[in-house]
Order: sequence, then C-alpha cells, then structure tokens
Amino acid sequence: MKYLAKDDSKCIQCGACESICSKTYFKEDNPEKSCIQINKEDTPEINVCNQCGECIDICPVMAIKRDKLGVVRIDKKICVGCFMCVGFCPQLSMRQHDDYIEPFKCIACGLCAKECPTEAIYIAEKSDEEAKEMPLDKVFNK
Amino acid sequence: MSHAEVILIIKLNNRDFPWEEGLTIEKIMQIKKFTFPKIIVKVNGNHIEKEDYAETFVNDGDNVEIIHLLAGG
Amino acid sequence: MNIKNMKENHKLLAEYKYELGEIDKGYTNRTLYVNISDNTINSKPVTEMMKEKFVGGKGFGLWYLWNATTPTTRWDDSENEIIIAGGPACGITQYAGTGKSLVCSISPLTDIPIDSNVGGYFGPLLKFSGWDALEIQGKSDKDIIVYIDGNNGIVTIEEAPLEAYDAHILGEQLTEMFADNEEDKRNVAVVTAGTGAEHSRFGILNFTFYDQRRKTTRLKQAGRGGIGTVFRNKKLKALIVKFSNVKGDLNNTFEQSIINKTGIKYHKEIHDLDHLQNNMRKIGTANIIEVMDAYDLLPVMNFQYGSHPDTEKIKSTVFIEKYLTQGVQDGCWYGCSMACAKAADNFLLKTGPYKGHRVTVDGPEYENAAGLGANCAIFDPEAILELNFYCDTYGIDTISFGTATAFAMECYERGIINKEITEGLELNFGNFYSSVELLHQMSKGEGFGTVVGQGVNRMKKLFVEKYGANEEFLFDIGMEQKGLEYSEYGSKESLAQQGGYGLTNKGPQHDEAWLIFMDMVNNQIPTFEDKAEALHYYPMFRTWFGLYGFCKLPWNDIVPADNKYTDEPAKVPEHVQNYLDVVYGVTGRKLSVDDMIKESERVYNFQRIFNIRMGKGLRKDDRIPYRSMGPVTKEEYESRQERYDTQLREKIGYAPEGKTTEEKMAALREYRENQYEKLIDAVYKRRGWNSNGVPTLKHLKYLNLELPELMEVIKDLQ
Repeated sequence: MKYLAKDDSKCIQCGACESICSKTYFKEDNPEKSCIQINKEDTPEINVCNQCGECIDICPVMAIKRDKLGVVRIDKKICVGCFMCVGFCPQLSMRQHDDYIEPFKCIACGLCAKECPTEAIYIAEKSDEEAKEMPLDKVFNK
Repeated sequence: MSHAEVILIIKLNNRDFPWEEGLTIEKIMQIKKFTFPKIIVKVNGNHIEKEDYAETFVNDGDNVEIIHLLAGG
Repeated sequence: MNIKNMKENHKLLAEYKYELGEIDKGYTNRTLYVNISDNTINSKPVTEMMKEKFVGGKGFGLWYLWNATTPTTRWDDSENEIIIAGGPACGITQYAGTGKSLVCSISPLTDIPIDSNVGGYFGPLLKFSGWDALEIQGKSDKDIIVYIDGNNGIVTIEEAPLEAYDAHILGEQLTEMFADNEEDKRNVAVVTAGTGAEHSRFGILNFTFYDQRRKTTRLKQAGRGGIGTVFRNKKLKALIVKFSNVKGDLNNTFEQSIINKTGIKYHKEIHDLDHLQNNMRKIGTANIIEVMDAYDLLPVMNFQYGSHPDTEKIKSTVFIEKYLTQGVQDGCWYGCSMACAKAADNFLLKTGPYKGHRVTVDGPEYENAAGLGANCAIFDPEAILELNFYCDTYGIDTISFGTATAFAMECYERGIINKEITEGLELNFGNFYSSVELLHQMSKGEGFGTVVGQGVNRMKKLFVEKYGANEEFLFDIGMEQKGLEYSEYGSKESLAQQGGYGLTNKGPQHDEAWLIFMDMVNNQIPTFEDKAEALHYYPMFRTWFGLYGFCKLPWNDIVPADNKYTDEPAKVPEHVQNYLDVVYGVTGRKLSVDDMIKESERVYNFQRIFNIRMGKGLRKDDRIPYRSMGPVTKEEYESRQERYDTQLREKIGYAPEGKTTEEKMAALREYRENQYEKLIDAVYKRRGWNSNGVPTLKHLKYLNLELPELMEVIKDLQ
C-alpha cells in the first residue's frame, strides 16, 4: 500500500510541506490545517499518517475506507464529525480544526514530497499485511 | 497466661487490620480479595503505584488507604 | 418478510405537516404532541419556563406527565402518556454518550411516574427532525404506528396490522420499510415493545440503532418500570423516526470548539486507559460480574448471598473469549468511544419460537448476567444469553424479570408455592428451562409466567391471599419497593446503599446512587451526615445526566490517569468539568457544580411531589425489605456469621457467645432497622425535606420552584 514515508533525521523544519499541504486542501497557509506536521523546536519529528487504517474500525458510520492504492480516506459527506478517529489514532496523525466539522488526514498525494528540499519525506509502498483494519466479511460472514 | 498476647495492627481504611511479618500492599490485597481494577493506594498519605505493591512493606501502626473508585454501577 | 405487502396494508389515520425548523443551541423549542385516541397531532411550544426550571429530557417528560394526569390516573388510563425527550446536549457527536433519551410514564408496577434512560438513535433523530420531545397520549383500538418523517416534515398515524410484534423482527421490518436503501438504514430509528410487554407489568421499550457492520438492527432498552406495558396497552406497535443528514453540528451550538476539544481529549483517554481500567470497549458493563462476586455483592438466590463458586463460569472473560464479537465499533450513538453496547453474534437459540435461529444478542449487561444468572443461580453463559435475548425481543425488563423469578424460585424452594400452583414448572434455583419457559409464557399470555409477570409486589399479595403464605416473611424476602423490583446489587452490608436504593424516587434502581465501595469497603462516609451528603450529591448529580441527554457511564467507567491525585477521586472532577464545558458549548450557559446540583434538585423535588400527589411519596413508602438490610434467614446469618457476630459485639455491645442464631438475628435486625431510620432522618434533612419526606416550602423557595400546583400538594403536609 502507498504511504508517505519519512526520515526524521533529514528534516530541517523548514515547514514547506505544511505550507503546500494546507494551501492545497484548505486554500490557506496555516500549519494547523496541514495533514503533515513538523515540531518547531527540539529534534525534528515528522508527524504524518502511515496509512495503518486503525481509524477505519473506529468510525461509527464507516466513512473511512481504504482506496485501491491502499490509502485511507475519509468520505466527508458521510462523516458525522465525532472525532473518535482523532482520539484513537496511534500516530496522532488524524487532524481536526475548529473551522471544519470533519477531521482530515494525509492521503499520500506526494505534493509535500516534491516541495521537501532534503528528501525527508517521500512516497513509498509497504506490505498490505500492515493494514490494521478488521476483515468484516470474515467476522460476520455476511 | 503470664503475658497477654500482643497483636500488632495497622489501619486499613480507618479500620483495624492485623499486622504480620512481611506484610505488603500486595499481600493485603490478596487477603482482602481486592480485585477491582480501579484502586488508589496510599500509605500514610503517600500514593503507591501499582507496580510497587509487591515491594511496599507495611509497618506496625501504618495508615493504609485502599480506595475503590466506583461511585457508579 | 414481505415488506411491500405489510406497507400496502397500512391504513392512514392521520397526517400532519410541519415546518422543519432549526435547532438553536440544543433546543428545537417545540414538542410533538400525538393523541392516538382521536388521531390529532400538534406542535406545542417549549416555553422559557420549561427550559429554566426543567432543562429538558426527564424534566420535560415529568412536566408533561404532570399536566396530563390527575392523582387518580393509572397506567392504563387513556390520559396516561409516554413522553420521549433527549435534552439540549442530545445529538451532539463529539463527546461519548450523548444520544440518550429519557422516557416517562405512569408505571403499571408502581402507579407513580417512572423514568427510564435509553440509548439508540431515536432521541437524536427526533431532535434533528424538529422536536425536543414526543408526547403520546390516548389509546388506540387497533395496532398502530406513528411515523415521523424528519426529512420532509410529515407525521402520520397508521394502522399496521401485519408486522411482527417481537422486537428483533419488528425492528428489522420497519427499518427496511422506511429506509431508501442499505446506506439509509442508519437514518431510521424504531421504538418497539414486544409480545411479552402485553402480558406482564414490566414491559420495556426497545430503541433500535442500525449496525452497519453487522448489517442488523440492534436494540437498546428503556427497561425499568413497565413503559413497554403502557405502550402495548395503547396498542402502539412502533414509533419510527427518519432523518437522513446527520452531521456533527446540527445542534447549532453556542461554541463548537470547546465541545470538539473536550470530546477529543476524552476519546484519547478511552484509547489510552480503557484496557487498563474497566475494559468497557471489550465487555461493557459486564466487566464487574466477578468483581461483585469477590466483594460479596453479587446477588445469589434472590439476594440471600453475595457470591458463589460457580460465578467462575459466567465471569466477564468467558463472554469476551467465547461469545462477544471483539473490535467492532459498538457505540449506541455516534461518537461514543466507550462503546459498551456489546453483542454476541450468530448465537444459536435452544428454546422457544425462535429455536434453531442464529441471532445477535445485545448484551449481556452486568445487570442481566447478575439478575438472569446469579440471582436465579443459573451459572451458564449460554442460558444468560438466551434469557437476555428473549427478554429483549419479548419486551421484558431483564432486571424485574430476574428479581421476580428469583423471588418465585425462593418461594418454590421453601414450599410457599408448589408445582400445582406453577402449573407444572419446577422452579428450583438454577433451572434455566423453567426460567425461559416463564418468558415464553409471558409472550403467549398463559401459565404461571403471567403471574411472575405481575411483579414481586403483586406476587406477594397473591401468595398471601390465595395460598396462605406468611405476609411478613414475604415482605422480608420480596425484593421490591414502591412496586419496582430491585436492581442487581446486594446492599445488606452497606447502609448507605440501603438508602441508595430505598430513598429513590422511582423505586430501587441503582441509577441514583451506588455507594457500596465508598461506604462498605473504603469507609469514606462513616457518619450519618457523611452518608446523607453522599445520598444528596450523587442522586442529584446523576439526575442531571437525564436532563441533558447524557449517558452516565462515561462519567466514571473510565477515569483520567491523574484522577487519583484530585481532592475527591470518586467524583471524577475532570469529567464533571467536561460535562460543564460541553453544556456551555451547547447552550452558552456557564454552570458551576452548585448550579448543576440545583438544576437536578428542581426536577428531583418535582418528582418527589409528583409521587406524593399520586399517593406514594412519604416516609412510609421509603421502607425497604429486610433482605436488602440484613440476614432474613438462619442460613444467611450463618453464611456471614463472623461478620455479624463481630458487629454485634463491637457495634451493639451484644455478646454473641452462647446465643442462638435466632437471638442474634433479632438483635442485629433491631440495630439495622434502627440505623436505616436514622439514615432516613439525616438524608431527608440534607435534601430539604421534613421528617415525613415532604419537601419543605422553604426548600421550594430556595429552588425557585414555588409553582402553585406544587404548593397545593404539599401545603397541608408541612
């Protein structure tokens, strides 16, 4: 499955990724509205969704699904804005901003990777076996 | 009987509880069958963490509080 | 099932069109009134007075009920109502447990108002459809449904002759009938009872929610006090609401950001700590089965004992490992990260009309495992699940059924009733097949099941009058008060909990106060004044959930990591603040804890006065059976002899040596009954009531509740 891979040691905390992400998806240069987030102090840490999919089982209305490429996506039309996925994300990478009633997350579009001056982030593939969601068909046999 | 038997006691939740050699918080919990998962333990007012129950010895005269947190049900 | 055919056989009796309107800071400011005698439907304004004095939810329900009934109204009178109301916070999605409805009616068990709290989607969807409350009055002579189309603003009353009655089928049928497609099913919520609700006094209402993963209709219960019995007596088959565009901001809250922030903080807490604390996400309330056993609090054999070696067979891990599907999002409203609505899937039924069917069983809740299981000495997880299933689908309260069956079993074991009276049923403790047969009989309206279905209070009278039983003994062992069966905790060794059960408004249900650990184990409330303070604060605090549309469980079935360092860990101060923050976010009202308690006190005192108006709200009505206070029989005494002997020696100054068990029992009883009277004195005083349990005029003034109709009821009782 496709995901945005990272190498914290290469990050220089320039914020270019946050800028392009928030501008692309929310038409505003605002790190709080970026799916990828970088700490501003201390040793660089890149926080971004690894597409594990734990949030898929948390969503009460099944608004979160994995697409054909393995990317976990939120259907905002279905979402009821409970933000359980935000509280339950093991990476703390599901985002919420009070200007919106739905959460948002990285969809591994790769735009930030193109902006990154140090190649600290890049689109990669990993095994589908790392997917964490339950196989509902098997559980309920329906 | 020439000597009255001396029974050493501690306070457990403000009630008398017999002390014995080697008494620990873990031992008290076993004796009292305190199995509830949400419990606060204090000895003489100091909090004792769960991982320290087995190592925390209780001495004669100590004031032990084992507070069960359920006001619900 | 041929849904099309069922629908074609509906006959439209009334149709009402309304403007959809908008919710303003949690209120729609309207109530939907439906009269099923003359098929009239109206919109009633929710007044500022109602909001100020009664807030919403249970407050609104009791207020409407008060105005609809008279002191002589009984449960089956046409003027009796069923009111369903959420509350201003009902329907937000960001905090756990915010989809609750409160249901009020005059109870067939107690003849006073009952309130029952229930999850499922009906309350929130009702509000989004434009209504703070649904008030149903009158009686139909044919089976009907009431349908609220919240997408188009249409309410209809329809004859519905062909649908099933039992909840697990009827819920599915109506969900399918009113949903446009599979995705739309979660937008339909149904309220049903069941066949057993017609033939017993403890009928329940089932509130559905559609489980998209299981692809099945789940059931949550408004269980206490027989509201399902009223429902079927009115010939209501179902209430349905449909609303298709749920979003997280439909309440048009005052300040959404504080709700978001508080909700996410709470979700994270559940994520990080639940598995270290109560395991609510894995097992729900049943996590405490073995805990109650370990502390000698699990009701065994009609509350005679507090533990049993066979509890091992029904402990929570048995259900987790063998029966309950794990890892599924089991919230009964969106945003409930506590997710305690567990279910056993593909469960094979062994008896009854659905024998051989594989079904989804909602539960078991702790109360079900304790009441249907331990209290009847049925220590078999599959028996508990089957009883649980049939109770739900027949529309029978698991708690009243468990306690009433345990009582009948004890009477049978003691020879007070026999096989002739039970029409062949061997009602020994532990007999699952007899217990489940009682349920099937309640469903069909035949046999001894209909006698048990009258409840403990009426069984006692019948056994005395018809079969010559000893009245005093039956009063001692019959675990009911005000007509309502006890819920499933042993209160013998905790005076505070005797009050927690006995000094309630609706009857002995632990939703007002559960003080056993604080009192018996922790010894935190040793004096009468301490106990009275707890029996003031907790009932008021817990009443508050029902005014706003909150669930109580997220308050203390998990606690923050640093809760133990707070001044009063039992109150879970951070969570109390969460609720005040969420209510501020919804309504804009900035409340303190004192304000919160006062809001509840108004409704609580109103309910007390309502009881007095109905003839059942005085000191004499707060008497409790001795089984809830101490050992009634020799066997009970001897099972805890050391504890009781010590108490005689140390508390009473009575030397147990050389005394017979009977003598010791008498001394202990005198002491304990006296303690309960002293507790009553202290609690009444703390609650602002006189020694007869009547709210004082001064207290009503303090509460700003000097409504003339209330003063009229209590002025001569001062």
